[in-house]
Amino acid sequence: MSTQWIIAETASLAAELLRGARELQRGTVVAFVGGDNTSAASVVAHGADSAFALPLQPGAMWEDYTYALAEKAAIDLPSLIWVGATKRGRSLAALLAAILDCPCISEGKNIRVVEGRVTADRMVMGGLANKVVSTNAPTVIITVSAGAYESYSTGPARSGSVEMLAGTAGKVKVTGRHLTAGSRVNLSAAKRVVGVGRGFAEKANLALAEELAKALGAELACSRPIAEFLNWMPEERYIGISGQIIKPDLYIAVGISGQPQHVYGVRDAKVVVSINKDENAPMNETSDYSIVGDLREVLPALSRAVSKAVCV
Amino acid sequence: MKRVIVCYKWVLDGADIRVDKITRKLDVEKAKWILNEFDRNAIEAGVRIKASTGCELIGITAGVDTEESSKNVLSRGLDAVHFLNDPIMQGADSRTTSKVLAGMIDKLGGADLVICSEASDDEYAQQTSARLAALLGYASVTYVQSIELSGDQIKLSRKLDDGAEDVEVAEATVISVVPDINDPPIPSLKQILGAKKKPSTAIALAELDVTEDRSSQLRTESVLAPEVARKKIQLTAGGVSIVDAVIKLKQQLTSDGVL
Repeated sequence: MSTQWIIAETASLAAELLRGARELQRGTVVAFVGGDNTSAASVVAHGADSAFALPLQPGAMWEDYTYALAEKAAIDLPSLIWVGATKRGRSLAALLAAILDCPCISEGKNIRVVEGRVTADRMVMGGLANKVVSTNAPTVIITVSAGAYESYSTGPARSGSVEMLAGTAGKVKVTGRHLTAGSRVNLSAAKRVVGVGRGFAEKANLALAEELAKALGAELACSRPIAEFLNWMPEERYIGISGQIIKPDLYIAVGISGQPQHVYGVRDAKVVVSINKDENAPMNETSDYSIVGDLREVLPALSRAVSKAVCV
Repeated sequence: MKRVIVCYKWVLDGADIRVDKITRKLDVEKAKWILNEFDRNAIEAGVRIKASTGCELIGITAGVDTEESSKNVLSRGLDAVHFLNDPIMQGADSRTTSKVLAGMIDKLGGADLVICSEASDDEYAQQTSARLAALLGYASVTYVQSIELSGDQIKLSRKLDDGAEDVEVAEATVISVVPDINDPPIPSLKQILGAKKKPSTAIALAELDVTEDRSSQLRTESVLAPEVARKKIQLTAGGVSIVDAVIKLKQQLTSDGVL
């Protein structure tokens, strides 16, 4: 009986990978999950056959579990190892791939088996193209971003073995952790999202986007420069290849030029709207509807119009 | 810190790549080779360590047509470059790339610190740094946003999803750096002219350990631009006022069932 593994920093991400693994129907699924036994047990309740807890240890990096995982993999011989593509997850996946001398597909989507080969889509060239890759290696590691699969649940509560994975000390000593303050937003769960970009000449104008988001019952998000260079919004709110990949019912891009790396992050949105003063903004070309105009004029008008229409 | 090696990738400029609207295939005919943008930060991180320690600073790259990259990267402050061109690097997966680079680092006698960037502009696989560390038996620290040297210790801050992680390491290490680590300057004319006098050396794959299997295990089935199935309706076309366009948008979104 073949085995698949799922490895993720959080139980919620593990539950998403679980769907990918279950859909392939390749034997039992063993989960390795960040957090304590409760976190691991919740992944079993979601449908994993058994789970190990990989809590963050003081003094050690989470990736230090790689060596314990590699030893276990030599015994279990999992055919597929799904890893949640957080930064720690990606690093762990690459280390594990080098130790096991196996291929690793980074941020795979639509993972399937075609003529016996594990096959996946992945974005390349900054979102310009979709690359289909395949492999027939006996063990394959695939990293998967949050939001690529919907959370899996078998329905009735299940039970399976849950234990802690013993880690080994690595070469790197962790001397401190500084968690980002504030609640973490869950953009991938939002039904409507308003994204702001460099078209906002000054920070004060963000209030106009906030008003629209409020009227729509939407979450506020942004393009990479707004979070990384201007620091107007926290990084967890930027959409794109290297940020959040979302699939809301409605995405309204305001003052966003439409770089492929941003567009990639909203490719699966049901409806996309672009508001831009530049008629030739590439964003208009990848939207269902566009309004060419000054955002200071368009946003208040749109906020007024939708505040009566939205059923939140 | 005696020797720092920076790994860089010579990539096709995405801005020059055209998409055939019918076949959705990419036309790279007119695309020029450029330095992977993220690697400017990796080189600059090395340059700053050299400035404070006087270490040797070497650049390495592997690809199919990398010789002309030397002048570019040497003008940014590297002392020397070693490049490898081989057909095995055509469409190479991360396993192949990291094995070739690790072989080059071994051949050069190793390093105290190896610096990679977060990813490449074209593949964005984010694997090379960690894979290299495992292959070389070095420590691995990814997503580094600051570097501080104190004696034999390297103090690093990592930028992770839930915040920052401070780490210390006292042995050979491979790091990947994030773009916010520094703001690389544009090379001066003097640096550009000076680059021509610096050594640039070819390494052949046959000079590396030949028993290693370095073939790519990932096969590329296709590379196509994504299909954009958007309606592309410009509501302000033909002089429609913003007020009217907004009303029309509300109607459309309501009938699409997304409000």
